[in-house]
Amino acid sequence: MSFIEASQLTKVFRQAVKDPGLKGAVKHLFTQKYVDKSAVAGINLRIEEGETVAYVGPNGAGKSTTIKMLTGILAPSSGTIRVGGLDPYKRRMENTKRIGTVFGQRTQLWWDIPIVESFSLLKDIYAIPDDVYKRNLDEFRELLGLDEFLHLSARKLSLGQRMRADLAAALLHDPSVVFLDEPTIGLDLAVKQRIREFIKKINRERRTTLLLTTHDLGDIEDLCDRLIIIDHGTLIYDGTLASVKDRFARERTIHFQLNTPVHVASAWTDAFPDIAFSQASPLEWNVRFDRFQVTAAEIVTHALKSADIIDFRMDEPDIEHVIKQVYEGRLDLKEA
Amino acid sequence: MQPRAFVSLMNRAMQNTFAYRTSYIITLLTYFISILSLYALWTAIFDGRDQVAGMSWNQMKSYLLITFMTNSLLSWYSETRIATKILDGSVAVDLLKPLDFQKARLAETLGSCAVEGGLGLLFIAVISAFASDIITPHSPFAWLLFALGLAGSLAVKFGIVYLAGLLCFWSTGSHGIIWSRIAITNLLSGGLIPLAFFPDWLAQWASVLPFQGIVHTPATLFLDQVGTSEAIKLIAVQWGWAIALWWAGKGLWQWAVRKITIHGG
Repeated sequence: MSFIEASQLTKVFRQAVKDPGLKGAVKHLFTQKYVDKSAVAGINLRIEEGETVAYVGPNGAGKSTTIKMLTGILAPSSGTIRVGGLDPYKRRMENTKRIGTVFGQRTQLWWDIPIVESFSLLKDIYAIPDDVYKRNLDEFRELLGLDEFLHLSARKLSLGQRMRADLAAALLHDPSVVFLDEPTIGLDLAVKQRIREFIKKINRERRTTLLLTTHDLGDIEDLCDRLIIIDHGTLIYDGTLASVKDRFARERTIHFQLNTPVHVASAWTDAFPDIAFSQASPLEWNVRFDRFQVTAAEIVTHALKSADIIDFRMDEPDIEHVIKQVYEGRLDLKEA
Repeated sequence: MQPRAFVSLMNRAMQNTFAYRTSYIITLLTYFISILSLYALWTAIFDGRDQVAGMSWNQMKSYLLITFMTNSLLSWYSETRIATKILDGSVAVDLLKPLDFQKARLAETLGSCAVEGGLGLLFIAVISAFASDIITPHSPFAWLLFALGLAGSLAVKFGIVYLAGLLCFWSTGSHGIIWSRIAITNLLSGGLIPLAFFPDWLAQWASVLPFQGIVHTPATLFLDQVGTSEAIKLIAVQWGWAIALWWAGKGLWQWAVRKITIHGG
């Protein structure tokens, strides 16, 4: 059995329907109309211990709803969930001891007392043994650079410091799975990098299972072996990041800068029938090709033979580009 | 919940209260000003009379002091903490902790109360030094009964505050609920006017409701207005209410949690 298992997971919310305007608001007081909206509609998930999974999708896709169900603070409308063999909703208290959570938009630290006091409170709440607490705290202090603000209250911290402190707080009790909901939202690059390094290290050394939702594709590329994309409450992709790239990010474009104008469009298409050749100006060529059909080296070699090239650069579609296309409905991962 | 976690929560709440000391001292001053105005009002009422509704002027002065004391046990901040947690959604963070929500809130309330009540007592000691003819319990046993009644007052108040806080699950704002609770509590506890001044029908209502345990009971005990057996009965009723409110709070919480975990808030 997998560490996290969800089958046919569904969550239906009841939404009030109000007619527009004041009249509608008054009418709603007497006759209530509701529609059912599925935030999550029959998702199947299997996540093994020690996996790092990115759970992505556009706003309102059902990511947070899924996370809430997996952490046990939301009851599924139908379907089953097991986290380490337990139903997280029915046995919420037991489940909370084994999970850690970081919500980028919310803190679990006390606002007005020193961070270190919030930490030692967690020690008592989770009944963390002294030696484990000390070992973890020492390690986190060093890796996340907590020493500079451990004595300050959460109110006085910058967003980056607060996130680092929250991350440490979520991991003090050695959880076997950590749910990170947008852990790098609003952070600068240096802090993002530090947090990613930390998460990677924890996953590598402690085999902590990680499930993170994010809109930051850097997080995914850096942290996750596996990518799950959902939209409208259903799963539209589940696989490795590399295979998304292989399947959907195959197209590259090389832009050449010429010294003197050369018109050889037909020569290009004769040599490589599958490429798309265009000229932005007499001195600029754009060659778009599939990297599984033609290599970049072949294209460049051909260009150097046919013209006096002074410069070139290559555009590679990143995962961001692919996911953006999925969000916009221009790419269907299921059909491909 | 582990006793250790309970004590630890109390401790953090105490630290937190120190961080809010300025705000609490201002609250205390507000209570003091309202007591002063009540004092002025009662001075006018007692003018030229020995007793009103069976109470002497000296008893009345002590009564005002006890009202002030029971008010100062819990600050506005502690009272609104539960409601705020629910309204801003941070209750989700509490659901993710292996803690019983009600016991955790009790621990925090007791922690804040230790600091706030302490400051309140200090304040009262200063006033008493200047005021004359304040009536106090005549024996150590009477003091003990009063202490039990004061603890009961806090327990009843916590029960009511907790229930009112949970009602915020069903409303979108907390002010209406908090203000109505304060108005009802103040009137029916005897915090505004001693219950002896109430018309019969209202006095009867007040005597079967839990609110009287907050001010009326400790004040009666402080003023030695009843015999020992009657005093013990008062305390028993008060603690009976405290326990009933605790269970009501437990039930309402379970209901509320079902609502948020099933309907998503």
